[in-house]
Amino acid sequence: MKIDRALLLEKARELKSQGYSYLVKITAVDYESYLEVIYMLRNLSERKDETLEVDVDPADAWVPTLIEDFKAADWYEREMYEMFAIEIKGREMERLLLEKWNGKAAPLRKNFAWNEPYEKGD
Amino acid sequence: MLTGSVLVAAWFVSNLLLLSGTAADAFDVFVYAVAVSLLIIAFDYLFGWVERKTIAKIQKRHGSTYVGKYGILQNLADFVKLLSKEHSVPRNADKALFLITIPLMLSLSLFLIFLLPFSPGIVESNIGLGMLVVFVLLSFLPLIIFSNGFSSGNKFAAISAQRSVVMLISYEIPLILVLASVGALANSYNIAGIIGAQSQWWFVLMMPIGFVVFFIAMLAEMERPPFDMREADSELIAGWLTDVSAPYYTLALFLDYTRMFLGSLLIAILFFGGWNGPMLPPIFWLLLKTFLISFFIVIVRATTVRMRVDRLLRFGWVWLLPLSVLNLIVTYILFIG
Amino acid sequence: MVTRINIGPVHPSTHGVLRMVADIDGDTVVNVEPHIGFLHRGVEKLVETRMYMQSPVYMEKLDYVAPLSYDEIYVAAVEKAMGVEVKERAMYVRTILLELQRIASHLLWLGTMANDVGQFFTMFMWCFKDRDLVLRLLEEASGARMFYVNMRIGGLIRDLPPGFDERTIEVLGYLEKRIKKYEDYLEKNPIFVDRFKGVGVVSREMAIELGLTGPVLRGSGVSYDVRKDNPYYIYDKLNFEPQKRSEGDCFARYRVRMLEMKESIRLVKEALRNIPEGDALGMQIRLILPSAKSKIVCVSRELPRGECLMYMVSDPQRPYRLSIRAPTFINLAALSSIVKGCRTADIFAILGSLDIVMGDVDR
Repeated sequence: MKIDRALLLEKARELKSQGYSYLVKITAVDYESYLEVIYMLRNLSERKDETLEVDVDPADAWVPTLIEDFKAADWYEREMYEMFAIEIKGREMERLLLEKWNGKAAPLRKNFAWNEPYEKGD
Repeated sequence: MLTGSVLVAAWFVSNLLLLSGTAADAFDVFVYAVAVSLLIIAFDYLFGWVERKTIAKIQKRHGSTYVGKYGILQNLADFVKLLSKEHSVPRNADKALFLITIPLMLSLSLFLIFLLPFSPGIVESNIGLGMLVVFVLLSFLPLIIFSNGFSSGNKFAAISAQRSVVMLISYEIPLILVLASVGALANSYNIAGIIGAQSQWWFVLMMPIGFVVFFIAMLAEMERPPFDMREADSELIAGWLTDVSAPYYTLALFLDYTRMFLGSLLIAILFFGGWNGPMLPPIFWLLLKTFLISFFIVIVRATTVRMRVDRLLRFGWVWLLPLSVLNLIVTYILFIG
Repeated sequence: MVTRINIGPVHPSTHGVLRMVADIDGDTVVNVEPHIGFLHRGVEKLVETRMYMQSPVYMEKLDYVAPLSYDEIYVAAVEKAMGVEVKERAMYVRTILLELQRIASHLLWLGTMANDVGQFFTMFMWCFKDRDLVLRLLEEASGARMFYVNMRIGGLIRDLPPGFDERTIEVLGYLEKRIKKYEDYLEKNPIFVDRFKGVGVVSREMAIELGLTGPVLRGSGVSYDVRKDNPYYIYDKLNFEPQKRSEGDCFARYRVRMLEMKESIRLVKEALRNIPEGDALGMQIRLILPSAKSKIVCVSRELPRGECLMYMVSDPQRPYRLSIRAPTFINLAALSSIVKGCRTADIFAILGSLDIVMGDVDR
């Protein structure tokens, strides 16, 4: 279901209290005009899945962190930060995969200039 | 390499000086020492080959078959290759100490083998308390290992050396206790005396618990698997041999088999009747028994899992030590009292 | 005094390029941080520039121990986007090949795990010899020993060769005996049991919170297996029960995988008995593919290492976005929580029981 960024944390907590305590994946898709961040949660006792989708403006890309409620969000959020330059508000961020990166553009965004040379170093 | 050979030669000479005091002829002693050294070299080389082949066959593969018939020249090829490599010492290492320790360990092991007689006639050093001397000198080894680890300037080597020393000193105590019961049973610590006392029954039959304890503790002293935590390659990356350069590495490999020879020889002498045996010359029997025991140790290596350090120490203190005390008491009650 | 040790990307522990920075106090581990990314190949971005059937090659290189499973899940995602039904015989054949791949993958896991705790390659050599037999069967079916690329849209590139079932039954009979032998060998060895029992305990709540998956999750008492709870192909027809244990230590995870191997053997035999006649071939690549309309599909499968989920947004010619939820990624992320308070030597035992493949972690 599509929800607003401001309601994300609340809704996630509500779902967790209903039994959706297993975080499957946090992923994002770059539709040129907006970024869609997708949270997949699962209820293990009832075997049901629930997906939360948050639309984010590419120029103002941030989402609140879910790490207090879902420890599994840790590395997924770091991957989102690295690949899509989506800031995660509420925790300190370190790069996960490619550590020495010049931080200029995010690899998985559509406007990433993968054909052009870039300067190395951080 | 120069340092190493100088040191080995120095120890050799000191052996001669030591032994000439008690034996008759300095020249005889010299010939004996040379003969034993050749024997050790032959054993080490042979056992390098036996180990590779045995482990390979247990793992359902062939081992080395290319160099020489049945791959028997493989170790020689490795030796020559290693000698041709560059010798370097890490900057953080305490150079003199680091370079001395491996030849020192080798010299100590060699000297201990010199002290053991190979045949009733060739008793060069008929020291009254022969066995005790051997074990006292054996306990110098942890000290040398410790200095090797700490002088290498490498964190992993230091940690490995520290663990190894703790293990060695914990496992020496059951060793000495079992030795005490052997000595009590044979009524002497003289090596020829111990072997003589086994002319009727081998000690392994008279004290089986003691044998098992001694065997396990000796595996720890020889640092063979499952007690090989210094060379534990998947635990702390490389351990003590990380920074050892090529010529010293050959000495280290040599050392491994020399210690195995020493250990098997001690087990053969103390429990399996040494050179007792019908018809054939005594030295043949001694070497045969040593060979079979070493072979068994090689099979143990191929099939065992390494223990975690703390479990290993626990095993030594909680199981081996009480068992060795029990063995001493039982032996006293059954045979002496 | 806390020492910081670098267990570098190159190490003899046969796990691939994983760098761990461990803070160790004496012999106890205070913290372990995995640093990954050495094998990152940018597959998710790469796939966006390739046409649909050019990508299975990349997918297989992700989990190079069990490549067929990734091949299959990707093709399944494309099939779902196109709305193509898989033929019935092809479903059976795919299941058989997937379960054989699971057996091969678990055999490799067994060998490397025993190697990590100091077994000195004996177990490793035996397991590889047995894995070789399974790879030979897969080679008969697809033409390659390791990187198969034999899944096509709607089926496979070729059907099983004649005589495949007799040979498979023979190999499976032999494997059953060998697995029994390995179990005896390892479980009657007190040193081995000692290395694994009680080490790296993950409680049920912690497993769910950390997002673990696969045999690691089932070893902690959570009975979730995609083959049972979200069944695909013929798993609902075969009597399939997910294996689980409740202790949550390394030994439980080891038992779960051994039981899974036996379960896979049983599944293959049953599938071979019931396989229908027919045609298992899928569409040829060289035909112009009908376009997959812009759709969002989500496909989930049970890989040997856990649950993999492919979330694909499709364009007519190529995927617009392919998001891969790799099972070992999240298992490795949990390492720092599991290892707290263990001994140094336990790091490798736990790592072995988590069954990491770096290609999968880094994608």
